[in-house]
Amino acid sequence: MGHQISRRTLFRSASGIAVAGALGTSLSACSGGTGAGSTSSDLTMIWWGSDDRHAAYKKALATFQKKNPKIKIRETYSGYDGYFDKFNTNIAGGSAPDLLQMDTALVAQYARKGVLAPIDSYVGKSLDLTGFSKTLLAAGTVDGKLYGVPSGIGVNQLTVNRSGLEKLGLKLPDREWTWADLKKISTDVYKKSGGKIYGVDDGGGGTLQCFEIFAREHGETFFSPDGKKLGFTAATLQEWWEYWADMRKANACPPPAITSAAHNDLTKNAVVIGKALFTFDSGVYGAGGSITDAQLDFLPTPQGDFSGAIEGNFVNGGVLLSATKASKKVADSVKIMSFFAQDATAIKDMQLLRGIPPTDKARKLIASGLTETDKLNMENADYISQRVGKASDALEAPAPPPQGADQIWDLLFQSNLAVAFGKKSIKAQLGEFFDQSAGILGG
Amino acid sequence: MTTAKTDEVVKEQSAPSTPSDQRERDRMRRRLARRRGGGWWPYAFLAPWFVGLFGLTIYPMLASLYLSFTNFDLLTPAQWIGLDNYDKMFTDDPVFWDSVHATLLYVLVSVPLKLALALGVAMLLNRDLRGIGLYRAAFYLPSLLGGAVAIAIVWRQVFGGDGLFNDFLAWFGIKGQDWISSPDTALYTLILLAVWQFGTPMVIFLAGLKQLPKDVYEAAAIDGVTPVTRFFKITLPLLTPIVFFNVVLQIIDAFKTFTPAFVISNGSGGPLNSTMLYSLYLYKKGFTDLQMGYASALAWVLFLVIAGFTAVNFIASRYWVHYDD
Repeated sequence: MGHQISRRTLFRSASGIAVAGALGTSLSACSGGTGAGSTSSDLTMIWWGSDDRHAAYKKALATFQKKNPKIKIRETYSGYDGYFDKFNTNIAGGSAPDLLQMDTALVAQYARKGVLAPIDSYVGKSLDLTGFSKTLLAAGTVDGKLYGVPSGIGVNQLTVNRSGLEKLGLKLPDREWTWADLKKISTDVYKKSGGKIYGVDDGGGGTLQCFEIFAREHGETFFSPDGKKLGFTAATLQEWWEYWADMRKANACPPPAITSAAHNDLTKNAVVIGKALFTFDSGVYGAGGSITDAQLDFLPTPQGDFSGAIEGNFVNGGVLLSATKASKKVADSVKIMSFFAQDATAIKDMQLLRGIPPTDKARKLIASGLTETDKLNMENADYISQRVGKASDALEAPAPPPQGADQIWDLLFQSNLAVAFGKKSIKAQLGEFFDQSAGILGG
Repeated sequence: MTTAKTDEVVKEQSAPSTPSDQRERDRMRRRLARRRGGGWWPYAFLAPWFVGLFGLTIYPMLASLYLSFTNFDLLTPAQWIGLDNYDKMFTDDPVFWDSVHATLLYVLVSVPLKLALALGVAMLLNRDLRGIGLYRAAFYLPSLLGGAVAIAIVWRQVFGGDGLFNDFLAWFGIKGQDWISSPDTALYTLILLAVWQFGTPMVIFLAGLKQLPKDVYEAAAIDGVTPVTRFFKITLPLLTPIVFFNVVLQIIDAFKTFTPAFVISNGSGGPLNSTMLYSLYLYKKGFTDLQMGYASALAWVLFLVIAGFTAVNFIASRYWVHYDD
């Protein structure tokens, strides 16, 4: 289970899991039932995910309905592709669902537009958030108000093909590793495999916010606190792109054609196709389980190995459950959120399908039933969250990203690709990146 | 002859109206009036069409025209911002220009190739062979399938790094590359997909070829005209109205292409915006980036560009399209 169940991971998982990704999702978008309607007296709930997650949700909701026969729930679910397009259209058309799975990357945007209902007034009454840490709740908190209940801990970590590494006679790096260590082992992988396998997939495009961690190691954030500007300097981004240009030159990471093909398509991920042993994309062991046969392991994002470097990792909230403002059933929706947060059967049903469970109590409940890889995954996530908790110099967890964040991430990816394909120099691309970012965030 | 015509007109105009003429005219007028007044039922039959016209075409068009002057994000009410969307498009949106570049390249390369192929195959199929119907169906098939999402997915697999196309090249000792994920070739895989779907213009060409007068060809054969000359001096000139029709239709179609670009690039328009066709960009702006006002402005620019291309086509057609007199 990927801890970083951000919208982009799932976008990739959703479009990647089925070879016929787009076909599959357009079908499931239809089969998911009619647009959630205000005409019905049922409570409408929507979510995205893999088949495993759908099954888990349905099982848990069946238990809920047995306990609350008065609340009738109409479930609509699909892959990530088109999920928010459909949600937007429903909101615009006045047929918003009552309860939805929300993306931590988008919650600020929807909260500020008045689409989501603030739920602070229920906390401690019908909404039991015992055991939730404040940093975790930050993932659903926008401008001081709570708009969503986090489903679990999300961390950024690298997924490693451990068996492939052992086959080359290499050892899994220590968890306290640095960017230089990543470069060294990646170069070794290329050499030892006789030039057949690159070390790590190209992170220069910031897939899965690895650049965000790099910027935080410099004491900078990705977005400014108010979300109106970028929070990092051109010097930091330049250093980052130069690191990856070196990596490409050393064949420590694959050429741009492989990087480009993997964009939005998990099935083409360098680790999945056997072209690399390390990936920043945790979707490889995502909400639907592993999509490779290799024995996987997990590592934190490397540490800064420059002067003044600080802890860059952070913990966020997996996915959220949010209620819409237009709904007349916010109170009932909150009951369901509380059920998923605290009920033992719901926690056991969901396992790691929405991230590492948010409370100690919940983590203990599921610990015994996990697979080997799930266990490794949870161990590493625990390790990261403890390290972050102990670090005295770490920045606060980032605020939910502002509107336009998606476009900026895509711009970062395309910019790195333009450099990698040799279409632009790093200097020229830096200028364009900051210009265009300003346009996106300002307008 | 001219004078005779003029005389007739003058006679008609100056003919004095007799009382009986007057009565006849009155009766006609009454009958027409009655027909107009009591004739509501034809409109009842037309009502579904009117509902469609106003509800699904004219109203949405006017609404999008209005929205193109607003800052509308789908979720909160639209705010009037005048021409800002149009201004931003032309002065401050590099992706817009990327999409214009990709789209023009796509239209200008795919349409001529597609029509040439369609005409060539139509000529091959314009014979009395055994089982010709089967051949025609086989060549038309891609057009039936081509718009489907499934074919675009197949395309992605065929032209990917480890796809069929590279296997094919390997037979000749050529080492391929990932055609879809290279910014230099990605658009051409889309163009190839478009050209492959030449069935519709082919069928229209075939119908046109069937209409050509046989006696002209017989006369040419007697005079010993070569097939190449026959094609350029007889077939093509006689076929120009059909060519014109296909050019106009295919250009409009090509400008609106969306599905293959969306599916093949996984909705991203990448790599490096090389497959960011205009409709895809419009969709992304409207539904993914929540800038429906901007997307509406994009849509109106597309509408005007298509109208412009069509108008130029019609004007230019005067110089190369020959109709029977």
